[in-house]
Amino acid sequence: MEPIIRIENVSYTYEGGEQDQVEALLDVNVRVDAGVFVAVIGHNGSGKSTLAKHMNAILLPTRGDVYVLGMNTRDRSMLWNIRQTVGMVFQNPDNQIVATTVEEDVAFGPENLGVPPHEIRRRVDEALTLVDMRGYEQAGPHQLSGGQKQRVAIAGVIAMRPKCIVLDEPTAMLDPVGRQEVLRTVRRLASEEGITVVHITHFMSEAVMADRVIVMDDGRIALDGGPREVFSSPDALRRLQLDVPQVTELAFELSRRGVKMPRTPLTVKELAEDVDALLSGRYAR
Amino acid sequence: MRMPSVIVGQYIPGDSLLHRLDPRTKIMLSLAIVVALFSVHSQWSYMMIGVLVLVAVAASRVPFKMVVRGLRPIVFILLLTFMLHLFMDPGEELFVVWRLRATREGLALGLTTAARLILLIMATSLVTLTTSPIVFTDGLEKLLNPFRVIGLPAHELAMMMTIALRFIPTLLEETDKIMKAQMARGADFDSGGLITRAKAMIPILVPLFVSAFRRADELAVAMEARCYRGGAGRTRMRQLRLGALDAIAAVGVVAYLTAAVVLF
Repeated sequence: MEPIIRIENVSYTYEGGEQDQVEALLDVNVRVDAGVFVAVIGHNGSGKSTLAKHMNAILLPTRGDVYVLGMNTRDRSMLWNIRQTVGMVFQNPDNQIVATTVEEDVAFGPENLGVPPHEIRRRVDEALTLVDMRGYEQAGPHQLSGGQKQRVAIAGVIAMRPKCIVLDEPTAMLDPVGRQEVLRTVRRLASEEGITVVHITHFMSEAVMADRVIVMDDGRIALDGGPREVFSSPDALRRLQLDVPQVTELAFELSRRGVKMPRTPLTVKELAEDVDALLSGRYAR
Repeated sequence: MRMPSVIVGQYIPGDSLLHRLDPRTKIMLSLAIVVALFSVHSQWSYMMIGVLVLVAVAASRVPFKMVVRGLRPIVFILLLTFMLHLFMDPGEELFVVWRLRATREGLALGLTTAARLILLIMATSLVTLTTSPIVFTDGLEKLLNPFRVIGLPAHELAMMMTIALRFIPTLLEETDKIMKAQMARGADFDSGGLITRAKAMIPILVPLFVSAFRRADELAVAMEARCYRGGAGRTRMRQLRLGALDAIAAVGVVAYLTAAVVLF
C-alpha cells in the first residue's frame, strides 16, 4: 500500500548567501504509513521542523523527492491536493489564526476548498466538538488561552478533512495546562479519528504516546522505532543531547544496579506495575 | 459559554431592525442619504431627512448618546463652518460683534451646513454601530465585487481588512508588553516635550515592526498551508441574504429621499 508520506533521499540546504549555506537535511528516508502516530524528536537545529515542512510542500527538497499518497510535492498541479491531504499546525498559535472569530477561522480552510456553505457549517461544528471548543464559536482569538488557540488551529485543519496532520512543535509556546489540552486532542485524533499524526516536539514525554519515534540529529535520522525500543538506549539519546523520560531513566538506573527490569517502562503507571511485580515476587519467594 | 464577538470599532451588538438588515442595504442606503443631503437646499428637505435619520436611530435601539458621541470629532469643524457662514456671508444685517457683521442669510446657511454635516455623520456611524466589522467586510466585498472587471481587488481588500481587524488586539497586547519591558529597563515615556516623547517611542516601534513582519510571514505560510489561493473558487460559510426587510427598507427609504429632494 502506498504510504501517506514517502520521503526518499531528501536533502535540504537553506540558502543564506554563499558562505551561509546550512544543510538542514541530509539524505533522509522516511515512510509514514496510514493510521500511525509518529513522533519526531530532536534538539534545536536537528532538522525536525525542516522535515515537517517538506510533508506538505511548504519546502521542496534540494535533492530527492517527497511523495504524499504518491503525489510528488514538486508537481505544482498537485499542490492543493497535497495540502488538503496533509494538514499542518504550526508552533505559534497567534500567527496561524486568520479570522476574527473562532468559527470563521475554522471555516477558512473549507472555504478555500470551495465547500458549499451548509457543508462548511457542519464541518465547523464537528471540528469544534472534536477539539472541545463548542460554545466559543463567536469568541475572538485574543479572548482565548494559548491551548485554546492551538486547539482552534487544529480544528481548522480537521475541517479540511485531511488524512494526515503534521504538528510542528504545537506545544512549544504553551503553558503546562495548554500543553495537556493540546496533547489530549492530538491523542484523540490519532486513536479515535484514525488520522495519521506526525507530531514534532522536543519534549520526550510527548514522544512516549506515539506508536513510532523518529529521532533526528544533524539533519539525519539517528534512531527510528517504537518508543520502548528508542528509549531503551538512554546513552544514545544523551549523546544526541536529548533527555530520557524520567521513569525510563529510573528503570535504567535500577537495572544498572542489578535489578532485573522486565521491560523499558514509558509511563509512571508502567514503572509502578513493574516495581510492584518485582517486589511481590521477592516477598513471595 | 457564549462570548461577545470582537469589539473593534464601535459596533454595539443587538437584534434591532437595523441590525437585521443586510450590510449591503445599510451601506447603500447611508450612501443614498449622503447623496440626498448634498442635493437639497431647502430647510424642509433637511427636516425630512432629519426625521428619517432620527427614525433610523430609534429603530436601531442604539442609545442616542452613542450616536451623538460620533459627532465629537467634528465639533470644531461644525463650529468653524457655522461661524464662517454667520459672519462672512453677505446679506441683511442681524447683529455686529466687534467688526464682524452677522447676517440673516449667513445664519440660515450656517444652520443648514451644520445640519448637513451632523446628519451625514449620524447616518454613516449608524451603519458601523449596527454592523459587526466581519459582516461589514463581507458586505463591502460583495458590493465591490462587480468592480473587479476594472481591476479593483475586492476580495484582497476585504481579506486585508479582516486580517487587520484580527491583529489589532494582538498588536496592542504586544505594544503593551514591549512598553513594559522597556519601562522595566528604565525607559520613560511620559516626561519631556513632544520631540523627546516621540523619540522615546522608537524603541517600541522598532521591535513592534520587526515582529509584525515576522507574523505576516508566518501567517502567509499558514494560510497557504490551508489552501488559500485568493478569492477565485472560494466559498463562504456565512451567506449574506437580501430578504423582504431589505426590500421594504430600500424602497421605503429611496422613495422618501426622492420626495425630500423633489418636493422642495
